[in-house]
Formats: sequence, C-alpha cells, structure tokens
Amino acid sequence: MSSLAKQIDTPVEENKVPDMYKDLQRRKKVILKNRLVLWAIIAALVTWAWTGTNFSIAFIYTGTANMAAFIFTDLLPPDFSAFGRYLQPALQTVYMSLVGMVISVIFSIFFGFMAAKNTSFHPAIAFTSRAIIAFLRAIPALIWGITLVVAFGLGPLAGTLALGLSGIGILGKAFADVLEEIDQGQVDAVKATGASWFQTMGQGVWPQFKTGFVAWSLYKMDLNIREAAVLGLIGAGGIGYTLQGNINLFQYQQASVGILMIFALILIVEYTTAKIRERLL
Amino acid sequence: MRPYIDKKNKMTQQIYLGLFIIFFIFSLLQVGILDERIFQAFSRVENLLKGMVPPAISEPIDVAGAAVESLQVAVMGTLWGVVFSIVLAMFAAKNVSPHISISYAVKAFAAFVRAVPALIWALLFIVAIGLGPTPGILALAVNSIGMLMKVYAEAIEEIDTGIIDALKATGASQFQVVMQGIIPSIMSIFISWSIFRFDINIRYAAVLGVVGAGGIGWELVRASRVMAYDEVLGITLVIFGMILLAELVTRFLKDRADMATLKAME
Amino acid sequence: MSEVVLETKDLSMVFPDGTQALKNVTLTIKKGELVSIIGPSGAGKSTFMRSLNMLNKPTDGQIVFEGENVLKARGKQLRQIRRRIGMVFQHFNLIKRSPTYQNVLHGRLGYMPSLKGGLGRFSEEDTRQALEILRRVGLEDQAFKRADELSGGQQQRVGIARAIAQTPSLLLADEPIASLDPSSSENVMTYLKNVCQEDGLTSIVNLHQVDFAKKFAHRIIGIKAGEVVFDGSPKELTEGITNHLYYSK
Ligand SMILES: Nc1ncnc2c1ncn2[C@@H]1O[C@H](COP(=O)(O)OP(=O)(O)O)[C@@H](O)[C@H]1O
Ligand SMILES: [Mg+2]
Repeated sequence: MSSLAKQIDTPVEENKVPDMYKDLQRRKKVILKNRLVLWAIIAALVTWAWTGTNFSIAFIYTGTANMAAFIFTDLLPPDFSAFGRYLQPALQTVYMSLVGMVISVIFSIFFGFMAAKNTSFHPAIAFTSRAIIAFLRAIPALIWGITLVVAFGLGPLAGTLALGLSGIGILGKAFADVLEEIDQGQVDAVKATGASWFQTMGQGVWPQFKTGFVAWSLYKMDLNIREAAVLGLIGAGGIGYTLQGNINLFQYQQASVGILMIFALILIVEYTTAKIRERLL
Repeated sequence: MRPYIDKKNKMTQQIYLGLFIIFFIFSLLQVGILDERIFQAFSRVENLLKGMVPPAISEPIDVAGAAVESLQVAVMGTLWGVVFSIVLAMFAAKNVSPHISISYAVKAFAAFVRAVPALIWALLFIVAIGLGPTPGILALAVNSIGMLMKVYAEAIEEIDTGIIDALKATGASQFQVVMQGIIPSIMSIFISWSIFRFDINIRYAAVLGVVGAGGIGWELVRASRVMAYDEVLGITLVIFGMILLAELVTRFLKDRADMATLKAME
Repeated sequence: MSEVVLETKDLSMVFPDGTQALKNVTLTIKKGELVSIIGPSGAGKSTFMRSLNMLNKPTDGQIVFEGENVLKARGKQLRQIRRRIGMVFQHFNLIKRSPTYQNVLHGRLGYMPSLKGGLGRFSEEDTRQALEILRRVGLEDQAFKRADELSGGQQQRVGIARAIAQTPSLLLADEPIASLDPSSSENVMTYLKNVCQEDGLTSIVNLHQVDFAKKFAHRIIGIKAGEVVFDGSPKELTEGITNHLYYSK
C-alpha cells in the first residue's frame, strides 16, 4: 500500500461515525431492494390470479349480500324434523374420525420412529420413511377419499382409510420431529445399563415422547372431525353425504340442520379433546 | 391415604381406557372396517394400482388450466382472507378494540366461521352465487378469516405495553407508535401465519372442485366417475406437484427475505 | 445552578381500583441534580415517575416542568413536553425486532412530523447523531444487530441511548438495573452517571438497592406507601432511616 493511500485511510479509521453512516445506507439499500423484489413478486402473483379468475371487488359485496340473503331467506329457520335423518350420519362421522385417528396413530408411531434420525435403524430407512410421510402429507384427505372410493366403493370405509392415510402424513412428521428433539443423554443413560432396543425406547424415549404424542394425536382428532364432515361430499361416508343430498334437492331448511350439526360436532369434539389434553398433560 | 388415592386414580384411568376401547371397537364395526372388502383390500388395491399405472392425462390442457385456476383461487382466497383478517383483528384485539363488546362479537363471529369447514362454505357460496372460481375464493377467504383473525388478534393482544409506553415517552404520536413500535413487533408473526395459511389454502383449492367450485379437484372427480384409474393417478400427481411447487416457492421467497435481513443486520 | 427544572405540588394518585399510590408528594428538582428515589416495592416509585410524563395521570396536584403545567398539557403540547423528558425502563422496552440504531432513532420521533417519523424517514443528521450516541455507550459494533440479540446490559445501554437521543433536559430511569446481573448493573450505572454528567442532565433514578443509590446520587428521596419520608444527601441516609423505610410497618 502506498503511503498516500495510508494517509487517506487514517482519518477514516480515527473517526468511525461517517464511515458507519455509509455502512448503514448500504445495509438499508439491501433490505429495501429485497423488499421491492418481494412486493413485486407478490403484486405479480395477485395480478395473475386476479385476472385469471376474473375477480372483481364487487364480488365481495355481492357475495356477502347473496350469502346473507341465502342464509336468512333459505337456510333459516332450520327444519328440525330433519334431525332424525342426520343423527346416524353424524354419529358415523364421529366413528370415522376416531378410527381414522387410531389408524394414523398406530402407523405414525412406526413411521415416526423409522423416520427420526436418532431412533431409526439406518439412515436409508429414515430417508425412505420421510419421503413416504411427505407424499402422504402433500395430498389432502379428500383426494385420498376419491381414490379410495374407487377402490372400496361408497361408504365410511373409504373415508376412514382416507383419514388414516393423510393422518400418517401429519402425525408421522410430527412424531419424527418430536423424537429428533428428545434429549439423547437420557436415552444413552438407559442404553448404558445394557437395555435392549425395546427397553431403551420404553424407558428412555417414551417419557420424553409422551407429551408431544398426546398433543399431536388429539390435534389430529380435531382435524379429523372437520375432514370427516366433508368426506361425505364424495360419498366416503359421514354427515356430508346427507347434507349434499338436501342441498341438491333444494331442501335448504333441512340442510341448515346438517350444518348446525357439523358445527356442534366440531365444537363437541374440540371441547372433549381439550378436556382430555388437560387431564393427560 | 396417598396409596389409596393413587389406586383410585389408577382405577378411574383404567375405567376410562376400557370405555375408550369399547367405543373404539364399536366404531370399528360401525365404519365397516371388518367388512369383507377390507379382507379383499390386497386384491382391490392391486387391481387399482394395475389400472393406475402408467398414469395418464387425457386432456393435458384442461388439467393444466384447472391446476392454474386452483393456484389462482388459493392466491385470491389468501389475499382477501389476510386483508379482512387484519382489519377485523383490530376490532377483535381487546387492547385496540373501540369497545370490549365489539371485541367479543367479532371473536364470536370468527369462532363460528372457523367451526364450519371450508368445503361447506364453498357449497353454500355455490348455491348463493353460482358456479366458478368466485365461490371458491370467497369460501377460502371466509375460512381463512376464521383462523387468521384469531391469531392476528392474539398477536396484537400480546404486544408488550412497555414498548408502547417507551415510544409515548419519547413524544411519539399515536401513528408513530403504531408504525414504529407495534407493526415491527407483530409483522413477523403475521407473515408466518399468512404463509402457513397460504399452504393450507392451496390444499383446499385443490379439493374445492369436488363441490363444483372450479379448479383441479373437479377434474379428479370427473376421472374417478368414469373409472379412469390411470387418469386419477395422473391428476393426483399433478396436484402433488402443484402443492409442492407452491410450498417451494413460498419457502424460497421467505428464505430470501430472511437472508437479506440477516445480511443487513450482521 | 439553582434553576428549578421540575416541581410537584401535592401530587396524589388513586388508581381506579381504589389503590392510593401517591399521597401529596411535593418535591423540587434543580438543574443538574442526580436524584435517586428509593423505597420498597409497591411504595409508589414507578407511579410517581410515570406521572411526570403522564404515562399515568395523577388524580390530584400539580406538576410543573420547565415552567409548563404538565397535567394541563394535551396532544401536541404533551408530546413536546415528553420529548424533553427521556425515560429508561426496567425491562428496557426496546422494539426487539428492530435494529439497535433504529431503537436509538426512536428518541427523535417527538421532534418529527407524525407522518415522516411514522414512516421512519429520519434525517441524516439524526442518524449520524444516533450512531454517535451508540459509540458513547460503547455499542458501535452492535448498531445493526436486532435489539433482542444483545445482552441485558447492552439492551439497557440502548435504552439509555434512546433517551439521550431525545436531547432531554430531564432523564427518568425506573429501576434501570433491577433485571440485570451485578456486573452489568455496575456497568449500566456507570454509563448512566457519565452520560448525565457529560451532558449536564438532571436525572431521577428509581432504585431499590440502597448501596447503588448512595454511590450514584447527590440526593436521595425515600418513598414509603406513596409518601415522601426522607429527602436528603446520601450521608444523611442513616441505617435507621433505611430500616424504617424498608422494614417497619
Ligand atoms: N395500574 C394499576 N392499577 C392499580 N394499582 C396499581 C397499578 N399500578 C400500580 N398500582 C399500585 O400502586 C402502588 C404503587 O405501585 P408502584 O408505583 O409500581 O410501586 P413501586 O414502583 O415503588 O414498586 C402499588 O400498591 C401497586 O399495587
Ligand atoms: Mg416499580
């Protein structure tokens, strides 16, 4: 470095503040540029979607107005004579949710343990399990339902299996993530006593896994009741089928009983799982 | 006393467990899982798979168009869901709401909206305003509001009153307190929930077609009705790809933004 | 040097739930004084301090700050009073997700038009000043970090920097070291005292540690159950008085 360059450098070194101001401007520019790019992308996406769907702000108003009119003139008052017709499908929805949950819990324990790096037998198995889970997860339960109705015919069996399958996607990932975060020290301590694989899992892993396991399984139940309520729309069992029947026949006051029952089902299940969660955790 | 209580608790637990198992077995019978069909599951699935492979798409342009429409419906549904949730959250959050009764009313509305599944909303909107993407957009928006308004309002309610005091103490105006204190504090929570909701909306958008609200779901139902198994798989794969692509794009954008912030703050 | 900065007369505060937090507090603070208010928790120290810039509104009495009647001030006038009173908080109260320098710049909001300040369009001069203040509190290397990445002691120094950025004539600090470990406490108190002396600031610091108060202040005021029970120099604060302040009923 020439002595001239040194001379120029020195005062800058001595007085840091002007230097810092430039630095600050530079940093702000980085953030600003990034924000502009992001907003441009978002704006482009929205424009694309807006024109593609021929949307208009007026639709929000007309949509709301029509919906209100529909609710107050057609849906209300509910015709409670339809209650009897909805009772059996409503119960079926609960059965489907429960069995679907148990199926997904059982398989998710297996896949979760195989997918978590620290409990799996081999990295290759872990990777494969993660991939299977990711696939099951990416496809919504209703899509599984459509395929399974093709295979197993109309009725709750297809819906239940759909809930089970998509549940593995959610719970398998959740369980694997919980397992990967457990404290290895405690597990090693049990292992060091010469415990077998099963004993290590039971004594070292399970106590740490339990909380996440219970919370996620109950959460799955909350999700299932929502999914099960609509699986009937594709003929996969449950209350949705009866609801669609009523709507197709323009029996809206009966349909509103179905909607109220779905509403009630969801609230009851959420209340129950919240109580169970409280008790167990 | 203690062992007795423990024993009693254990008993209660076992009774609950027993009841659960009985109810579970009853449910098993009710959903027909012990139906003969489940014992033919292997051959049924085998048949299905044979029919599915190789996957096919008979009208690729229609399917691609439907997939694009689903993505667009998801974007629009999320947009309006976010916009209305932000506005409503201001009325729902106790600490900024004009009146506590307004807060309760708005929260009750959100709870109601949340407890009706998105697809049911779609069904109702179709009856109320007709077929096409608009009922799908509105259904997703309404369903998003149920969830986002709740989490946004909670984020606002959890704002540390200390930071408001601190900015007021500098002589900042109300507008400055909101812009410089409140928004930076809740922005990242808002963004991550909105992205999360976008991911959910894409999944819903993919199935909205089932009730006739446009998009790729309808193509799938159509294929399944004519028992075109290979097409069912083909369209399912398209849906899978569509969801994956959208998730990758949002993640990429978020990572990019985080990276830039990190670079500017190191 | 005997110019009066702040005067309170018969200041009383009753919270809506009926708690009487202040009873007829009458005090005069002169320019350049470093005053420490001590007293057990719940004595009313915070309430007194927060009354001075109207973060809570006293129910009775009078506050005169640099000749202005604080309790009558509204809107713009109140903002103009507040910007001349810097405040440091026990829990720092920084905007955690904003960078450190931005938190210091917040001290300038009271001097800016509402819109400009809200949008964060701080002038070059203010920004340079903020960076310079950060240097003074030894945080020039942390200027661009997110505030919550700093340690507790550092965050409190940012809190001090924000108050200093207001170019205040009075600095209030409400238990500035109550959530810090002993060594950061020393450090923060040293910075606080240096800054006050360098800028000739008048300051009031609530402390519940008597030893820190004695070391820091020229004048100590003891508050108990909302009343001033001691007002004098650190030397006059005998053990008997502290015992009365903290332990007797
Ligand atoms: N917002 C409030 N509402 C009701 N009472 C309060 C409130 N804030 C403080 N108090 C009461 O006022 C009294 C003085 O409190 P404070 O000024 O915080 O004391 P200190 O700062 O000395 O610990 C206490 O009895 C406290 O419980
Ligand atoms: Mg206090």
